[in-house]
Amino acid sequence: MRTACILISHFPVAVERQRDSSLCRRPVVIGETPDQRKAVLDCSPEAEAQGTRPGRPLRQALALCRDAIFLPPHPLLYRDVFESVLDVLETFSPEVEEDALGRAYLNADGLALHYKDELDMGERIIRSLEAATGLVAGVGIAEGKFVAWTAAITSEPGQVCTVPAGKETEFLYPLDVSLLPCKSDTLRRLELYGLRTMGDLAALPLGPVQAQFGNEGKRLWELAHGIDGEPLRPRRREEVIVEGVRFPAAAVSVEALVVACRRLLVRLHWRLRGRAARRMRLRALLWGGRSWEKTVTFHDAVVDWERMLFIAKSVLANTTLPAPVEELTIELSGITEERGQQATLFAEKAGLKRQLGETVRQLRTRWGRPFVSRVVEVEPWSRLPERRHALIDYEP
Amino acid sequence: MKTLQPLKQPRPVAVETGESGEPVAVVLGGRRLAVAQVQDVWRIDDEWWREEVSRLYYHLLLEDGQVVTVYRDLLKDEWWRQSY
Repeated sequence: MRTACILISHFPVAVERQRDSSLCRRPVVIGETPDQRKAVLDCSPEAEAQGTRPGRPLRQALALCRDAIFLPPHPLLYRDVFESVLDVLETFSPEVEEDALGRAYLNADGLALHYKDELDMGERIIRSLEAATGLVAGVGIAEGKFVAWTAAITSEPGQVCTVPAGKETEFLYPLDVSLLPCKSDTLRRLELYGLRTMGDLAALPLGPVQAQFGNEGKRLWELAHGIDGEPLRPRRREEVIVEGVRFPAAAVSVEALVVACRRLLVRLHWRLRGRAARRMRLRALLWGGRSWEKTVTFHDAVVDWERMLFIAKSVLANTTLPAPVEELTIELSGITEERGQQATLFAEKAGLKRQLGETVRQLRTRWGRPFVSRVVEVEPWSRLPERRHALIDYEP
Repeated sequence: MKTLQPLKQPRPVAVETGESGEPVAVVLGGRRLAVAQVQDVWRIDDEWWREEVSRLYYHLLLEDGQVVTVYRDLLKDEWWRQSY
């Protein structure tokens, strides 16, 4: 299947530079301030050139590039911009897969017929994206996702690289093995064996590669030959119900957030019209332009807003927001008509046990002594009745 | 600290016996109830390694239809009522 890979490298940095042009060509590191024990979310190529990498500690990033600009992450903004990217891509093909932030695939089978050729199609995609979002993407078009991705990553932003069908091996063989999706240990071993290019790996028979590297080796060998059977998984359009509230003064207490959640969930419940939701996303716009979000997937589809509120409360109670909240939004998705629940014997029993425990605690607090006992076996084999069983205080 | 309370503890009971030593009447709640039938008799000698137990149990049908289990402590010559 002809597949196009649309790649916007260092997507968070690209979005930040789009907002603030003074960040261009300067080393940028995203991931809170360096005094916090957190990891680098993303960094610009200039920062990478100085040794910083996403995922490494921020303190290390500070030590490596002293002149870098450290920015707090804006996950909501990155998400929104990427949604716009996907929307633009869906004007080209109905089958668009969202792979990671800044990386998407689309089914390009037969699309080139609408344009002069694939190159023209790729250039139009780049122009449309730039017009809609201001971001410059690289596009690779080839058979399968892996070859399309390597075509995109090896081309400059704003460029299109097409690999004609049947020419995959010709394209892949000179490329470095580090482009293969493998564990760092596997990559190290490949290099120890002197396998530096995909051509080196592809030249080996499959058997010995599989014997050395197992299933992963087989997959890498196939990819090096341009064989990629991984299907495109188009994103599904689903109904999302959103309600938001803006605080008159930025909220700092969990109680204020819970009150807001309650109000939002009541409204959302009304809009659900008796249907249930499977996912809830809490999003907060924080003071200073920062943002926070948390997605909760329910075990079962939930229709009861009070249960959603209970879950939202526990999320908020276990989270330390880095700044006061200016705006709070709740999104419900995975909306379903199914409301029936399979009752389980053990869940029922557990519920009763919890209720009993609560009652026992109340009685003990009220009267100062235990009122409920449990029968335990002491010497059940004894011929003397008073030896067989005894009562013990019930401890919930 | 959890406390254990044994179940089916024996309670003292007043029993009238006949010439053979078998119960002929039991006093329950201040009422003397004659034994209509001795349904079963068994003896337990146990726990000689701690506090020795020697009991002769009677399963009795009383005149008002109640069924009770009583035993005679053979070591102390006392009567006790017990759920068996």
